Amino acid sequence: MSATTTSPLNTVEATSDTTRRAGLFAPLRWEVRKLRAQYRAKAVLLGAVVLPIIIVVVIHGQSRPPKDTLFGRFATVNGFALALLVLGFAAQWVIPLLTAVVAGDIFASEDQHGTWKTVLTRSTSRGSLFWAKTLTTAGFAVLVLVVLATATIASSVLIVGHQPLIGLSGQTIPATEALRLVALSWAVMLPPMLGFTCLAILLSVWSRNPAVGIAAPVVIGMVMQLVGAVGGVEAIRPFLLTTPFEAWHGLFADPRFTGPLSQGLLTSAAWCALSLGAAFAMLRRRDITGG
Amino acid sequence: MNELLAVDATGVTKTFGAVRAVADISVRVAAGEVYGVLGPNGAGKTTFLRMLFGLIRPDSGTIRVLGKTWDEHGVGVLDGVGGFIESPRFYPYLTGRQNLEGLALLDGGTRPGLLEDVLDLVEMSERADQKVGGYSYGMRQRLGVAASLLREPRLLVLDEPANGLDPAGIRDMRALVKRLAGSGLTVLLSSHDMDEVEEICDNVTIMKRGAVAFHGTISKLRTMAPDPGHLLSTTDDDRALALARQHPALLVVRDPDAALVVTGPQPDVAAYVSTLVRDGIDLLAFNQTQTPLEALFFMLTDDTTHQTLDRPVELTQAAR
Repeated sequence: MSATTTSPLNTVEATSDTTRRAGLFAPLRWEVRKLRAQYRAKAVLLGAVVLPIIIVVVIHGQSRPPKDTLFGRFATVNGFALALLVLGFAAQWVIPLLTAVVAGDIFASEDQHGTWKTVLTRSTSRGSLFWAKTLTTAGFAVLVLVVLATATIASSVLIVGHQPLIGLSGQTIPATEALRLVALSWAVMLPPMLGFTCLAILLSVWSRNPAVGIAAPVVIGMVMQLVGAVGGVEAIRPFLLTTPFEAWHGLFADPRFTGPLSQGLLTSAAWCALSLGAAFAMLRRRDITGG
Repeated sequence: MNELLAVDATGVTKTFGAVRAVADISVRVAAGEVYGVLGPNGAGKTTFLRMLFGLIRPDSGTIRVLGKTWDEHGVGVLDGVGGFIESPRFYPYLTGRQNLEGLALLDGGTRPGLLEDVLDLVEMSERADQKVGGYSYGMRQRLGVAASLLREPRLLVLDEPANGLDPAGIRDMRALVKRLAGSGLTVLLSSHDMDEVEEICDNVTIMKRGAVAFHGTISKLRTMAPDPGHLLSTTDDDRALALARQHPALLVVRDPDAALVVTGPQPDVAAYVSTLVRDGIDLLAFNQTQTPLEALFFMLTDDTTHQTLDRPVELTQAAR
């Protein structure tokens, strides 16, 4: 059925007034402002400062070091070894969780609050909003990693000490070089962490549920670690997003090997590209019917 | 000079799975008019408005807003357009002012002082620095209007702005919308309340199950409206029912609640009441059941009845 009516045809002129575009910078500022107002983000940052210090103090106070873990043998007597022990633990599930707390929520919370219709009826395109949110979560991931790494390394070195480190091949690494390598090892976490950030974004867009967006990347990370640990799956290990978390091991061998670093970079980049591509396509095509 | 309609939607259809939410509707809204889209819940009003805002893509048809289409102009379609869909939503952990500041950012900025002006207009200045999570429903509605006006729109789209408000809130919201309409804005108002549309709008589209049931002016609608119905309670309903035979223009039936329902032209109803009083029957209650336009609205949109009264089943037992 079709019908048409109009009152006495008052008409408007097509004008170019009120033509304003927010571009990318304005929604980016808006997302950062929202993030700064959220207790959750503040709690994550606070946790990234406090928890490493507590862990360092607890391990340092133990009479028997955790010998069955990488660098665990020296963790109670060498600050660099302890910082690497914490790194190994954080890579298992802490880092995916820390980034997913924001990335898994940032799209789904718009569904939760019903605010898609609020922001998408302004002069900002879906694409701009998508990239603003993505850049915000990526920036937050970098910030959390820097805070976590700084808190861990500083507390380890200050509480346990900065003696020369015994490398994986038994070589002695001078303190200055050990500090550089430990910092580099933490930096190596960034690509897979961003991979998990993008995965969380995808799950946030797909599920429209913050709980799924936050928890699922952690669970997926654990499953990947499990798969990577079992025998007979060497062919798929390089493609797992958790494998790059171990790429730093080669930095402490003699001679050093950096192949896993570049492989990890590629793997992480692929996960980022695929996850973001799928998330972007979903958001672009989606009908906003809720809220 | 390029002359355009504020809204020019042609042959718009949207289907969700097996459900046809909007079926080939066409709506034209001229500049400066206050246009109502009316229909019961599920009629397709909100889906149509969501398509207008680009939140939903139509399966077919074109929607031109202030001369622009989504395909050609993208988000530029919304230049000069403000409004909200269903109840406006905000970030509860931010204050009202922070929400508006953020939305202004997404608009590419606003002129200085406008934010305070719109807060004043909706009488939210004093509560603007409280978190939205603590706002009442009515305050959020008003903040929604403020957020819409922040865009300095030429076309204001309001989807059931008085929905869920208490009577005082409804009165205030209607007064606000009338004030905005009086300022020369083009207003597209969606509602399921005939009174609201009748009070505010010049033209109306009535929707039923995704299709257009009526298009036209409010005055044209009034000419189509049936006689009003009245609920009448007397000291002797049996005798009152018998006396109704002296007024053949009226339809008088017994209501299940032991009252009478009187339907017919206003002068005949008045004459009937005079007859009752003259015969010593006292009136205990006398209320209009529906306004004529309400009755017409139900006729146009209700699947279960094509009668003018709200208790059509009783009409089958009618006696004159």
